[in-house]
Amino acid sequence: MTWSGKLRAGLGLAGLIVGFGLLGPLLTGDPATIRDIGLTPPDGEHFLGTTLTGQDVLAQLAHATRGSLWIGVLVGVMATVLSGIFGIAGAYAGGVVDEAFSLFSNVMLVIPGLPLVIVVAGFVPADRRGTWTIALVLAITGWAAAARVLRAQTLSLRNRDYVAAARVSGERTWRVICVEILPNLLPVLASQFVFAVVLAILSEAGLSFLGLGAANSSTLGTMLYYAQNGFALQRQAWWWFVPPGLVIALFGGALALINFSIDEIVNPRLRDRARRERDVVALDAEIAPAEPDAVLTVRNLNVVYQAATPVHAVKDVSLTLRRGEILGLAGESGCGKTTLAYAINRLHRPPAEVTSGSVRFENVDVLALGPQELREFRWVKLSMVFQGAMNSLNPVTPIQAQLQDVLRTHRPDMSIVDRNARCAEVLRLVGVDPARLGAYPHELSGGMRQRVMIAMALLLDPQVMIMDEPTTALDVLVQREILNEIKRLRDELGFAVIFITHDLPLLLELSDRIAVMRDGEVVEHATAEEIYLRPQHPYTRQLLASFPSLTGEAGALTR
Amino acid sequence: MGYHLRKLAFYLVALWAAVTLNFVVPRLMPGNPVDILMAKLQQRGGTVDPGARRAYETLLGTGGRDSVLSEYFAYLGNLARGDLGISVSAFPAKVSDVIGDALPWTVVLVGLATLLSFLLGVGLGAVVGWKRGTWLDALVPATTVLSAVPYFWLALILVAVLSSGLGWFPLNGGYDVVLDPGWSAEFIGSALYHGTLPALTIVISSVGGWLLGMRNMMVSAMSEDYVLTARAKGLTDSRIMVRYAARNAVLPSVAGFAISLGFVVSGSIVTEQVFSYPGIGSKLLQAVQNNDYALMQGIFLVITIAVLGANLVVDLLYGLIDARTRDRSTVS
Repeated sequence: MTWSGKLRAGLGLAGLIVGFGLLGPLLTGDPATIRDIGLTPPDGEHFLGTTLTGQDVLAQLAHATRGSLWIGVLVGVMATVLSGIFGIAGAYAGGVVDEAFSLFSNVMLVIPGLPLVIVVAGFVPADRRGTWTIALVLAITGWAAAARVLRAQTLSLRNRDYVAAARVSGERTWRVICVEILPNLLPVLASQFVFAVVLAILSEAGLSFLGLGAANSSTLGTMLYYAQNGFALQRQAWWWFVPPGLVIALFGGALALINFSIDEIVNPRLRDRARRERDVVALDAEIAPAEPDAVLTVRNLNVVYQAATPVHAVKDVSLTLRRGEILGLAGESGCGKTTLAYAINRLHRPPAEVTSGSVRFENVDVLALGPQELREFRWVKLSMVFQGAMNSLNPVTPIQAQLQDVLRTHRPDMSIVDRNARCAEVLRLVGVDPARLGAYPHELSGGMRQRVMIAMALLLDPQVMIMDEPTTALDVLVQREILNEIKRLRDELGFAVIFITHDLPLLLELSDRIAVMRDGEVVEHATAEEIYLRPQHPYTRQLLASFPSLTGEAGALTR
Repeated sequence: MGYHLRKLAFYLVALWAAVTLNFVVPRLMPGNPVDILMAKLQQRGGTVDPGARRAYETLLGTGGRDSVLSEYFAYLGNLARGDLGISVSAFPAKVSDVIGDALPWTVVLVGLATLLSFLLGVGLGAVVGWKRGTWLDALVPATTVLSAVPYFWLALILVAVLSSGLGWFPLNGGYDVVLDPGWSAEFIGSALYHGTLPALTIVISSVGGWLLGMRNMMVSAMSEDYVLTARAKGLTDSRIMVRYAARNAVLPSVAGFAISLGFVVSGSIVTEQVFSYPGIGSKLLQAVQNNDYALMQGIFLVITIAVLGANLVVDLLYGLIDARTRDRSTVS
């Protein structure tokens, strides 16, 4: 089901039940009328049969639905107001107030609600237990979880620029909360209100079923209480017992569906999507012969994002990477360079598809590899260092485990001692103390993490390494160190590198050859020297000019 | 302050709040519970000596004769000695003994059912999230609707179908009454057999919440860079799913354990009532119906302490599975 389908189904079902609760009592007869036709199964006159004392179940159901909805709405409103006060106001006020409110919410959260409600209900004499009393107690025990979420949301909103601007410009507090913050919290508040309503209806049903509900009220819970005490199930009178529970379940289900679709509207990643079996649509039957010293050859590669309007992200790209060389891939953000890098290793994800072309690694047709062969190819022949290596390390395991993973998968015969020795060796290669093997990623600096990523890429002595903006997030000094490290390692170990960046001057210095990409196409492909001295394509010239030249003059094309 | 100390301090505050709530609630309520209790006690043939009255007044309030503060300290003193008063409904048993008899049943039933439900929900959620776009997606709305079903209603339907109808399970009780409670294989087997249906009720009603939460976190985790790296490393799918995606996705489920545990405990009180299970939930209702205030309050306190304890354990475990929390200095 799509999100809009879920929303429609949820709204429809919830609307039906609310309508039944509102209008039902007007259309059905008096639910209390006693007839001498106890426990009649459903028939033409009584659509849902009768109770033990001959009362019409449908009429009772309509009134009980109304009663339950009323309690639900009462509690929903009160709980939402309470969570708003403790969540939003506390977080907005900050300081001691926030600490106190937050502590209070957390304490209320861990104290179990229903036992408290039962105890309170036990102390209040039955004749003084009104609907409002029950609703109030349920609200008091049910607001805390929502307050915690609201607090987190408010804290993040509070620091947004437009809120800060409003505060600085001297707007009144209540105005900032009502105008700047509340509207942004509406989706959360709405979903929490819905949740509070369902929870209240469920809790009230439980209480009433135990005989602790509001006096003289008629809810789905009291209906079940009477059905149970009339031995409805033992007498096979399912029509008396099943409908009240079903109404609760369907109402809860409907609101859950609505919450699903709200989640999916807010977070599109959660939406259903068709699973695609293939990441490569068409294979070129004939692969162009590779140049003799080429290790990686890409020919006429096309990658398309199959969205509502397909985006052709990589257009007919052809590249050759020779043994041991550094090939720079330059271009601005969104030009398709990362998509190209992923497609070479078939890491691109739906909706991206390779629509045609070939990727050849020595004599291997990468696009034709089966899943198992592809796994064996990855990292052994070609490893990668990703953009934002900060997030490329698994935050919850030590780096040792992440290095070991590679060896355990690709070198299953290696002994533990050898594996540990190899992990220490690669760390030493990139200048990280092997004593840090037990460290978690958050305990390392950004530069260290990037070095660990490079060490990981070296583990299996691959012939090719793809580096996607490996130094972009680092400060200039660390960036310089790491670039020197890469060059040194390449000289020592002899692997080839595809180095992706938007920083053309950096590439001029680092690479043997450079490919310039724009809008998915390689517009120029030549040696670094050629590109620097005799750029052919106007875009290359533009890129070169947009950086301050080495001699210090401003570029000719500064816009 | 270290992570563990901070957590411990929080739960001490929560414990103090629960104890104080227990003291305040009877004093805020209308009516005079002590008089009702004394009347009950008289019906049961108990001696109405001033000492008994005094004990109840410490628990429920003297109606203004003593200062609230001195009542409060007397109450705390009694608690510290483990003295929860005398039960009226099980006269002349002590409240602590009544609770002691009932508690193991609930701890085992609710504990096992919760653990089972958590493992099942998180496991299924991980698989459903990982295999998104297959028929497994249908599990999500299906289990969510199940968690909107009232516990007791589901329990009764299960009893009607599986016990009354098919005769697969006993109708109620915690064990076969012809057996003597003890550590015999026969008795334990009987207890397991009687506990299956209540546990099934709890699992069915609570598994959906875990499943949905885990599935959503799994979907988010799968688009993280470390999962992409793991794929580029050529690891097997099962390893990526378990060690990288699920390992990270499970963290919020564990962190949110407190909220869910409250629901499960609430639900199981009603479930116990349906099955006449000899646990603490049934005792609580029995206490409420008999105006056995001392027992009622004792049980509330014990349930709260159990929930707080379980949460503390989970919070400490969380520090183990996510190293970042141990090092962060400002977490509430």
